[in-house]
Amino acid sequence: MARGAAESLVGDMPGALLEARRLAALAPGAHGRRRAGAGDGFWQYRAPAPEDGARLVDWRRSARGERLFVREREREAAQTLSLWIDPGAGFAWRGGDDRPSKAQRAHVLALAIARAFARGGERVGVMGRVLRHGPRAADALAHDLAAPCATEPSAPPPRSAVLIVSDFYEGEDVWRRRLAAASSVGAHGALLMIADPAEEDFPFEGRTLFRDPGGAGASVTLGRAEHARAEYAARLAAYRARLRALAGAHGLAFLAHRTDHAPAPAFSALLAALSERRR
Amino acid sequence: MTLGPITFAAPWALAALAALPILFLVLRASPPPPRKALFPPVRLLLGLQTDEQSRERAPLWLVLLRALMATLAILAFARPSIAPPASAAPGGGAGSTLLVIDDGWTAAPHWSDVRGASLDLVAQAERGGGSVSLLLTAPSARPIDPAGALTAADARGVVQRLDPKPWSPDRADAARRLAAAAVRPSRIVWITDGLADPGAADLARTLERLGPVTAITPALTARAIVGARLSDTGVAVDVARAPGAAPQGAVAAETADGRSLGVGPFRFAANQTRAQAQIALPPEIAARTARVRLIGEQSAGATRLLPGGADHPRVGLADPGAAGQPLPSDLFYVDRALQPFAALQRGPIRDLIAGRAQAIVLPDQSRLPDADAAALERFLERGGLVVRFAGPRLANESGPPLPVALRPGARTLGGAVAWERPQSLQPFAAESPFHGLAIPEDLVVSRMVLAEPGLETEQRVWARLDDGAPIVTAAAHGRGLVVLFHVTGNPDWSNLPLSGLFVDLLRRSIAFSGRGETGAARPDAAAGPYVVTRAMDGFGALAPAGGDVASIAPDAFEAARAGPRSPPGLYARAGVAAVIDAAPADLALAPLVLPEGIARRGFDGPTTLSLIGPLLALALALVALDLLVSLALVGRLPRLPARAAATALALALALAATPEAHAQAGDDPTLELRLAYAQTGDAATDALSREGLAALSAVLRERTAVEPGAPIGVDLARDDLSVYPFIYWPAPPRPQRLSSEALANLDRYMRLGGMLLVDTRDGGRQRQETNRPAAVMLAGLDAPPLEQLAPDHVVSRAFYILRAYPGARGPSAVWAESASVASARDGVASLFVGDGDWAAAWSGRGAASPRQREMALRFGVNLVMVSLTGNYKSDQVHVPALLERLGRER
Repeated sequence: MARGAAESLVGDMPGALLEARRLAALAPGAHGRRRAGAGDGFWQYRAPAPEDGARLVDWRRSARGERLFVREREREAAQTLSLWIDPGAGFAWRGGDDRPSKAQRAHVLALAIARAFARGGERVGVMGRVLRHGPRAADALAHDLAAPCATEPSAPPPRSAVLIVSDFYEGEDVWRRRLAAASSVGAHGALLMIADPAEEDFPFEGRTLFRDPGGAGASVTLGRAEHARAEYAARLAAYRARLRALAGAHGLAFLAHRTDHAPAPAFSALLAALSERRR
Repeated sequence: MTLGPITFAAPWALAALAALPILFLVLRASPPPPRKALFPPVRLLLGLQTDEQSRERAPLWLVLLRALMATLAILAFARPSIAPPASAAPGGGAGSTLLVIDDGWTAAPHWSDVRGASLDLVAQAERGGGSVSLLLTAPSARPIDPAGALTAADARGVVQRLDPKPWSPDRADAARRLAAAAVRPSRIVWITDGLADPGAADLARTLERLGPVTAITPALTARAIVGARLSDTGVAVDVARAPGAAPQGAVAAETADGRSLGVGPFRFAANQTRAQAQIALPPEIAARTARVRLIGEQSAGATRLLPGGADHPRVGLADPGAAGQPLPSDLFYVDRALQPFAALQRGPIRDLIAGRAQAIVLPDQSRLPDADAAALERFLERGGLVVRFAGPRLANESGPPLPVALRPGARTLGGAVAWERPQSLQPFAAESPFHGLAIPEDLVVSRMVLAEPGLETEQRVWARLDDGAPIVTAAAHGRGLVVLFHVTGNPDWSNLPLSGLFVDLLRRSIAFSGRGETGAARPDAAAGPYVVTRAMDGFGALAPAGGDVASIAPDAFEAARAGPRSPPGLYARAGVAAVIDAAPADLALAPLVLPEGIARRGFDGPTTLSLIGPLLALALALVALDLLVSLALVGRLPRLPARAAATALALALALAATPEAHAQAGDDPTLELRLAYAQTGDAATDALSREGLAALSAVLRERTAVEPGAPIGVDLARDDLSVYPFIYWPAPPRPQRLSSEALANLDRYMRLGGMLLVDTRDGGRQRQETNRPAAVMLAGLDAPPLEQLAPDHVVSRAFYILRAYPGARGPSAVWAESASVASARDGVASLFVGDGDWAAAWSGRGAASPRQREMALRFGVNLVMVSLTGNYKSDQVHVPALLERLGRER
């Protein structure tokens, strides 16, 4: 099941890349650190200020003319974004032919974010794998994402941003443990919960046997599914509230997205949530 | 068992209804399987409970649907039917029922209603356990006795076999028969034709005395054709009706074999009982009218026979059956000319004679196959007429039957018997049957066969050319007559077939076909009664007369009216046809008036309606519905169409793939070009032929685009030759005459355009003029005239340019069908006769030198080329001129 899902994801990757590229174009310009600071790359020449010591003057450049120049370097705040996308079979599920699966949408959004970050010169990577940077970082990342992520999100690099995409149906306890591991190294970032419309609206009627596509063996038969709709909605809302509180406690933003909605607003919200904490 | 208006024929089946509650409980306790759904957040559903009631039970509506299904099926098996209300069946069918049926032609138009109503009444009697007596009002040779009470089953058999009589009912006689029978029915139903007759009141009184009477009358009474005659403008038809019958309609004129010639409408003025219809037809077409029919009413009264219309001569066109182009065919023009005046048949001579043709038209043919010639001889002896046309074959070799002796060869413009200019016809002599016909001015005869002059010939001439040469001759032959047109039946030799005169000549010739009736013996002219030849049934259809028809004395015939002893139909006496009509010319139709005491109703009254069909159909529809519902309940329905389509596609692919699997390349001569040789029965000759043709095939493969397979030997009598373009037929050491099958097969082969090379193999040897092999080999063959190959014949340049036609030992003499005869095949000869011993030359065995063999092979290559490409190379001579013209235009 997982392997099949992964293969179908590989097949979808070029499409996801395209869509991610389109989404990344929505990011409002180059974000941020285009200013002088500590780093290796040349930034600009400027006239020396009185407080600049002679050590800062670029003598080689100054010797070519009458004036003195100070060479400034671009600030490099090489940030890191660690991604984790739920590899479970339940996440690769979709409730109808008219919408993508949750995993497909997760890949699109994750790649778009990665592209936007990579364009800003930051390093991006899948949790537990090599960090990518440079102009082709997003494409390399797409390659990494083609294989399913590790079943558990591993600890991110210290003080890095994390993006965890899942449907978060494993249960509160599981996520409390996972988030504690992440926040212990001072990570900030966002949790993106992607839900299928069927999971929120519960459109089932009549006698129905519900099975977990993960094959965990859990199954429930409801005599009249339509009567369980209100109760289910209440349970779902309560569960999400608890998750939101949990995320807040660990300093992570908690965003929800439905696969039948356009990905662009979710991308913008995600970008804002991740950028906000970075500054 | 009866339940209100519903009757159950098998009520025991209803016992199964008792099992319904059990079925209900069982169905209720077995719910449909749950719909399955994948749902990732299933953890959130754990411990959730919904309505316990519906969880383990089938929904009530589904159980009710299935219970209804079972109920309908049980009801259907009980064979229910809705019987007519009690008012329509006084007495409920118990006791005895007297069924009075008007079964004259007047009932024929609504006979299905009559039969249906009768069967209903019989069925009512059956349900009530009563008996049925029948009284039929139309006279009959063997009337049914109304005293005989039939069981319902017997009565049903009688009614089902009942057909209307082709004459009117005689109710007075029926009343007498009823009075004599002393029957006491408990109810009486009279199915009337709705028309009055003198005995109607009598019968009504008799019936009323016996018991309560119900009369069933049709909504529209029958109409009749009371007169039909040919007029200058077509056919005039008189139609009669009773007041109140349908006021308008149409009549159709038909030939004896049922083809419609024309239709004319009629309309009765208000309160009028007579109307006239005109069927507008040209006189010669109108003359073919054999009967007139009222459209939409099938009865003997609505059909009227015209005795003259059956008299079209049956003319057979002897068609050898060869595939050919229609326009150059001799028979095309004859067919067109005779179509309005004769019933034409086409086919081999023996079939035509078997089909009782009175005249046979023979297109150009030199000699008939023996069997055909003998059949034609007998046909003439019996008084048949044979019309022959001349042509190149007849000019080449004449065979009987002919009216005059012919000179061999055709007289051509500029030929041996020279004409300065083409000729026209002299006016017809007074003793000629053609006397009085106008001769068109532009008539031109350019070619003809000549009769040997003589006194006998002079007496047999029907038409002459300007210079006195006979152009149409005729002579008695046995009791029959042979007429010969000395020109072709197509416009090759004259433009006579294109003129209107041709039609008249043929028409007058065909008129002689009455000299003797072929087949059936003609009744002696002197005396004898009128004998019915074709009798009409109640619906107006003609059939050969039955056995018990009495003949009618000539003096009584005029006064005869349609009845059991003189049924309507076609009569004949001494070859003169006469007719007795179902509806006499003075027929007056009036509606039937019934006394007050008789209850009346129409045919559309309530009838027994079986409910088995509707109930079962409904049950099946519910089964289908249940199937859909079940699928929907387990969530399978939306996927069904895709799966069905995939299955259908797979099936279609499997079916489409199957024939391909069967197609195998076999030993099929149509798939590969093969040179063929005729098997002579002499092993050495056949081996030599095979070797020679193999050598020729090798040369063809090597040098030309023709790539023949291995040569094949064919049996001239049995094999289908049409698949071989080229057949080599060498003379065996002792040639034998061919069997008639082989001759017919070869004839057909050459007519289809195949090429036959006959090799007499005696070139260069000492000639024995007495016993030339070709004479034996070609004996009996319908061989076209031959001419020696000219140096510029197409064979000389089909592939190689040849100056002579070499054989095994030097140049050989080759003869070919002359191009003028082969005109139907664009001048490509189909028969070559030579003495080259080519098989020996090609194989290299008999050739004097390698060069001689090479030249012989070149001749063979050219022949095969001609057989495949025809005279294409002749046309090539114009190529330089065409190229030059093209260049000039540029």
